Amino acid sequence: MAIFNLKKKEIECKIVYYGPGRCGKTTNLEYIFQSFKKQVTGEMVSINTEGDRTLFFDFLPMGLGKIKGCDVRVQLYTVPGQVKYSSTRKLVLRGVDGIIFVADSLEVRREKNMISLKDLQTNLREYGKSIFKVPLIIQYNKRDLAEEGIPLMSIDQMDKDLNRQLKVPSFPASAVKGSGVGKTLKAGLMETLKSLQKEFKWAK
Amino acid sequence: MDIGVQIKTLLNEAEIYRAQGLFSDARDKYQAAASIITKIQRLKNKKSLLKTISGKIASLEETTQKVSTGPTSPELSEKGQDLIKDLFGKNELEKAVALIKFGQIERAVEELTNLLTVEAYRVSAANYILQCKIRIASTDEAIEQYKDWFASDLFAPDQLEAIREYLQTILAKKGVVADLPQSVKGGSSEKDPLFFEPEDDMLDITSIGITLSTGPEKGKMVEFDVNFQSGDMLSLIVSKTDETLIEDLQKGENLKNVQFYSPIAMFTGTAMVANKTKIEAGPKQGDFCLDLKVTST
Repeated sequence: MAIFNLKKKEIECKIVYYGPGRCGKTTNLEYIFQSFKKQVTGEMVSINTEGDRTLFFDFLPMGLGKIKGCDVRVQLYTVPGQVKYSSTRKLVLRGVDGIIFVADSLEVRREKNMISLKDLQTNLREYGKSIFKVPLIIQYNKRDLAEEGIPLMSIDQMDKDLNRQLKVPSFPASAVKGSGVGKTLKAGLMETLKSLQKEFKWAK
Repeated sequence: MDIGVQIKTLLNEAEIYRAQGLFSDARDKYQAAASIITKIQRLKNKKSLLKTISGKIASLEETTQKVSTGPTSPELSEKGQDLIKDLFGKNELEKAVALIKFGQIERAVEELTNLLTVEAYRVSAANYILQCKIRIASTDEAIEQYKDWFASDLFAPDQLEAIREYLQTILAKKGVVADLPQSVKGGSSEKDPLFFEPEDDMLDITSIGITLSTGPEKGKMVEFDVNFQSGDMLSLIVSKTDETLIEDLQKGENLKNVQFYSPIAMFTGTAMVANKTKIEAGPKQGDFCLDLKVTST
């Protein structure tokens, strides 16, 4: 949950990158860490396994400067995507203010995307949140693999699978090449801050 | 598509999936390529091609094994533990509890032991220490810890009674009968506002074993991977080729002697068939989705 210090005019909020295993959540954060050095306010921390799979979470703090008179800080997290780390995902999701759902564009991962989205919905519900109300952006990652002749789902198909009811902003991306990462993050930040503005009415 | 191009495409896909860490998808593509190669009557280097693919599959299986049996909660560095405390706890007690939730039990016990000297957290800290003792050692250790505290003057009588009641509840859930020394009758029954009820954590279950009760393989235990878990509900995808194994299972049926395999423990329990449906569309068309509710462990 966002921390709002009225006296110091500071807001700190939490955005979580969610999605199935190996979809590119950590790669997103790594790219942000490398490319947005001015906004990054600390080291990126990754707690992962030997195989470079996220074990607990990745963490990256950012400062966005003053927005409507308030100093805005953001904490970016990723969750582990592997099925067996379900309880850790739930822990990391606690107090989330905005979510970026990273979907894997590979055709072979279609089912995993849907299972992960369902998992997100379940975990949010356990915190009394609705997936339809929480600030949410969807990223369709790994679009670059089309160039390697790997079967990808079309954006239309992925939108139908994952966004038919949610109708949230979605962005194609290639986290490994960096394309779409900044746009996704910017949209995620805007949706989150819009929601917090309504909640705290700080900009009035 | 030309056979040669087909094989090349499959091997290319397999390589990319392997590089992406998608080991089972990579294995499927290697196997598909091997299957095509096997059917070709005359192919130069057929044997060596199949041997190479077989080697790649074996290597994938080794890596898959390593990944899937890796520790669920290894002990992190002090820096990692400090980060967990900072990010997931607002006060000292919450920080210690965060350590427990991320499996950093030894460090959690250290922190909680320090909190025994803080009046506001004393009872909650003690309860969590007992929880940890049970988790990393045994109920006997937790009982011994309580008895040590009972013999000391660290706790006021009503605090000791609250701790005793808490430990008695956990032991009862585990079917352990213990005669815990009692300092006062009817201690504070007021719920400690700082204490977080231990969640009845359902361990992450990665696969289950069901003993077949009917059919030609009656009495045999068959294993299925858990596709998705939400609390005590498990979803399995059963291949259409295994239909005969589950065709007699009916919704509402109780399954006894179910083996549950989690990354840290294997345990036996019972489950109920919550749902059984055939998948009508998509890549798993024809397979079955079997939902089981864990009823006891």
